Amino acid sequence: MSDRDATDPGPQGISRRRFLSLMAASAAAAATSACGSPDQDTIVPYTKKPADVVPGVANYYASTYQEGRVPYGVLVKAREGRPIHIDGNDEHPIFAGKTSPRAQAEIMGLYDPQRLREPRLGGSPAAWEKAQARVADALKAAARGRRPVLLLTSAVISPSRRDAIAALRRALPGLEHVAWEPALSATERAAADSLYGTAAAPRYRVERAKVLALFEADLLGSMDSAVPAVAGFARGRTPSRPGEPMSRLYAFESRLSLTGSKADVRVPVRPSAAAPLAFATARILRERHGFALPGGLSARDLEPFRPAAVAERWGADPAVLSALARDLARAGRDGLAVAGPSLPEEAHAAAALLNAMIGAEGRTLETDRAVEPGPLASPTEMARLTRELAAGKYAAAVFWETNPSYAVSDADGFNAALDKTPLKVCLGLREDETSRRCDVVLPISHWLESWGDYEAATDLLGLQQPLIRPLYGTKQGEEIVLGWAKELGASVETDPRASLMARWRREVYPAGTLASFEAYWTAAVHDGVLRRDVPARAPRRLRGGAVASAAKKAASARPGSLELLVEPDYKMWDGRYAGNGWLQELPDPVTKVCWGNFLAVSAADARSLGLSDGDVVSVRVGRRGVELPVLVQPGQAPGAVFAALGYGREGDVAAGCGASVYPLVADDGSAPFHRTEIAVSKTGARRPLVRSQTEFDLHGRDVVRVWAPGEYARKAKTPEYAEELATLNDDPRWGDHKWGMAIDLSACVGCAGCQVACQSENNIPVVGPEQVARGRIMHWIRSDVYYVGAPENPRVAHGVMLCQQCDDAPCEPVCPVAASVHSEEGLNEQVYNRCIGVRYCEANCPYSARRFNFFDYTSAIDDPAELAFNPEVSVRPRGVAEKCTFCVQRIRNGEQIAKDHGRPVRDGEIRPACAAACPAEAIVFGDLKDPNSRVSKLARSDRGYKVLHELGTRPAVTYMAELTNPAEEAKI
Amino acid sequence: MDPRDRFWRVTAPLGALAVLLTILVVGWSVEPARYQLGYAPEQPIPFSHRVHAGVNRIPCEYCHTNADRSRDATVPPLQTCMNCHQFMKLPDKALQEYIDKAVADRVKSDEPIAWKRVYHMPSYVFFDHRAHVNARVQCQSCHGPVETLDVQTRLMNMRMGRCLACHRDPTPYLPPGSPIKKGPTDCYACHR
Repeated sequence: MSDRDATDPGPQGISRRRFLSLMAASAAAAATSACGSPDQDTIVPYTKKPADVVPGVANYYASTYQEGRVPYGVLVKAREGRPIHIDGNDEHPIFAGKTSPRAQAEIMGLYDPQRLREPRLGGSPAAWEKAQARVADALKAAARGRRPVLLLTSAVISPSRRDAIAALRRALPGLEHVAWEPALSATERAAADSLYGTAAAPRYRVERAKVLALFEADLLGSMDSAVPAVAGFARGRTPSRPGEPMSRLYAFESRLSLTGSKADVRVPVRPSAAAPLAFATARILRERHGFALPGGLSARDLEPFRPAAVAERWGADPAVLSALARDLARAGRDGLAVAGPSLPEEAHAAAALLNAMIGAEGRTLETDRAVEPGPLASPTEMARLTRELAAGKYAAAVFWETNPSYAVSDADGFNAALDKTPLKVCLGLREDETSRRCDVVLPISHWLESWGDYEAATDLLGLQQPLIRPLYGTKQGEEIVLGWAKELGASVETDPRASLMARWRREVYPAGTLASFEAYWTAAVHDGVLRRDVPARAPRRLRGGAVASAAKKAASARPGSLELLVEPDYKMWDGRYAGNGWLQELPDPVTKVCWGNFLAVSAADARSLGLSDGDVVSVRVGRRGVELPVLVQPGQAPGAVFAALGYGREGDVAAGCGASVYPLVADDGSAPFHRTEIAVSKTGARRPLVRSQTEFDLHGRDVVRVWAPGEYARKAKTPEYAEELATLNDDPRWGDHKWGMAIDLSACVGCAGCQVACQSENNIPVVGPEQVARGRIMHWIRSDVYYVGAPENPRVAHGVMLCQQCDDAPCEPVCPVAASVHSEEGLNEQVYNRCIGVRYCEANCPYSARRFNFFDYTSAIDDPAELAFNPEVSVRPRGVAEKCTFCVQRIRNGEQIAKDHGRPVRDGEIRPACAAACPAEAIVFGDLKDPNSRVSKLARSDRGYKVLHELGTRPAVTYMAELTNPAEEAKI
Repeated sequence: MDPRDRFWRVTAPLGALAVLLTILVVGWSVEPARYQLGYAPEQPIPFSHRVHAGVNRIPCEYCHTNADRSRDATVPPLQTCMNCHQFMKLPDKALQEYIDKAVADRVKSDEPIAWKRVYHMPSYVFFDHRAHVNARVQCQSCHGPVETLDVQTRLMNMRMGRCLACHRDPTPYLPPGSPIKKGPTDCYACHR
């Protein structure tokens, strides 16, 4: 190597390490020089620079993302005009700076290579004018002939979209608009309608709840209200000293859900048990604690629910019901009962009864600002629609951002019926099962390229603004639909921004506002959310009569043969994210299965059916059936099996991942997601599940600590790991900062939001199912699950593991090329350009926090997916070890900003991506050198401990033991 | 000769020499292009730093506006040229015509210029201009006497040793009385 630089004093003489590193460097140079020419690179500046864009500095814009009936308020980070990271909008009163992992992963949705790029006519690319003319002609003919036209959409919670549809309906009186969400439960809406006379979804104020009684309700996981629920739940679980009150969570559920995994008292029972158990609890509340029943319901209606008999019949402990009733009585208005969306109407009635008795309405359950949703079609109505399509009722059918060819119960029947419609039009983002069957395919813009507004509550409007011009020749759905209305003779503004602004000026901007409309509008666009003065709705009242008839139905229920529970998948939701590699590879938060779904079976049922993990079974209900691999899941209730929706899609990424469970969704009027009398039989085939974690036993080590309150009081007095172990290394001397992290396992629910945030921030590649099965997943932060206690109903311990940035890091001394070194700010640095890939560091890391890039995962990422890369982080090549850096790019940026302003770094100013995304605020980052920083205080907390401290690694991450609040403890 | 003797006297020294030679020859011949001093590519417009920064004494940051607030000092948008060139007319008619064509017309038609990159950083180096500019390191300390160059030329040694030399003893490059006595030498200061 030539070294013309005389200024580098360098080490005297060549050490072995230096020699090896020189060898490595020359080899690398030899590899790169072949294609290196000095003229390879150009700089292309703007000719006219847009205001506020400084190359190299990120801009943040607030927007709104709709999923189902939830409009997530988000804050999108953009670099040089391209969105690269999504967080929650801190101005949003409901989401308060947090968002769901699925919304975060929408960055990949924007740059999805599978997106539709131009209109298609009969399967081949066509110009917009031609494609639009084809639709307009058909609509005009339908209007003249007074033939009906079907418009099928997803849930419409956007006033702008509602307006566009209304405009089209005025121009085309035969338009029949049907909205549906395949993953949203129809029973939940029907129950609310019959119990309260309104289908408005309540807002759960989990932060106020001292006692939660959840019946098959995955409130912190797959329910769509999870993000604020996790934040609220965490607040009640983190006492700062022994004796402080804590909330208590009771979960009666068949499958081990994310919420059940955090329960203080978890009762594994069949889904059918939920209603009788809840009614029995209501009876105890009335008889033992003197709570009155609501009008229309008499004590005789609860007569059949003798607690001891009900508990025995459904395999629950009667003492649990007494304890729950006692706690609900004590909590009063601060209690909350929720029935899972998938459960039949009786269970919803029973939970509503509990809430009405303790007076939770208006306190832990709020409906005074709830939006009345428009009608949503149930699976039964979709079956009726299929029959109408088959009868050739419609002159044309338009599918707008919905995929019925995949997501109806009888997809084959639907697709056959579709052929009877002369013109099928699809307004979609990417190629899917429906678009392939449509005559005209019109590509629509992604929400990050669109204008819109959404009703989060009656007093809360979320605004959606485009972050980037459409990447391809796409148009917003509203613009297309309004274009048709215009063709049909209506006078409408089709430009999405202009029509949105015009409507806001007309309907939203309050008369007599001092600010001009332009100022008002700009402020609203900036905040992404607008609060309005709207009178509260009258509190809803429970109809006792409806509860009485539900009780009658629940009283006759008896445990039968196998039951099936179906729920939207935590990652795929209804299947719309199946093409998103980040989400496919994100392990399921409880089972750690990636790239597919499964049938969760209890150990007892697996024994009697002769099943083991990976056996493919055929699950049949009536005429329909699906084939799924089995997962023998600890905590699964005997007599009940579980499967998630959203898999079995077509497409480059999704193909071969799991199977669609939609055929098992009932479309005959019964509860769609809860099936009884199902048949499970072994097919003899095997499909091993891909899992990121295969060992779920702690083997007696206390890497994840779970303490009951008594244990907390005892251990807080005598901390076990207070003193530092002796070390032979030099006492580290820190520079201006010593970065550290504290993770509160009591707050953490294992939602995996940190994992997606990290993947997006740190350019972490997706490796695919084959490589995950070989243990080569690349996530820098992971949430681990351990089962403690009996496998029939274990306690679940959630651990969060990332590089511990050890002061005496085992990875550092073993690196032959000094690619793993320690910084004076306490970071354990991995220098990719030095790394030669021997993997000694990985072998020596006791935390398994290091990852190795076995194949060139990153260079396979092509345009446009590469636009999602964070330009502040290296895109690591093959053969390099990598790991969490505490988001050093954010640290450097924060330090630089502080320095530029001539002030010290403020505590909390620098947040790694995981900490920023954590809805539970379980991750706190800061400077351990500052004794007053939050992280320093938490590091000294009496719940604090270091994982594998006994190895003398001296980690910079302090964990805080998870606290439980079992029912034996009287205090809540 | 005893076979063992032969190994120690002939094979081993020759082998060692061959290995050493290979390392030296390969190392010298495949030096990355980014290390070459004096690299001065022909640019799409023969912009002269001598005329602008030298003769007319326009401060560097007038054009490279982001040097103090971004990692990238940034090449200015063409519009910046028009700040002056839309008002002033050069006595040299041919030159004025050229500027009208090369700059003014491009701004009007929104046609960007693809400048040849002179200073090239590998992708794993995250250099931050604002840290240096805000510490009042002169641009010339790294980029050399740019104000004397008609053709922008690479005058800086782009090796890490050069970075470290200054980070270990920055005093000669800082204004007198600067409180900064040392720059960060952690790997993560630049690599991440």
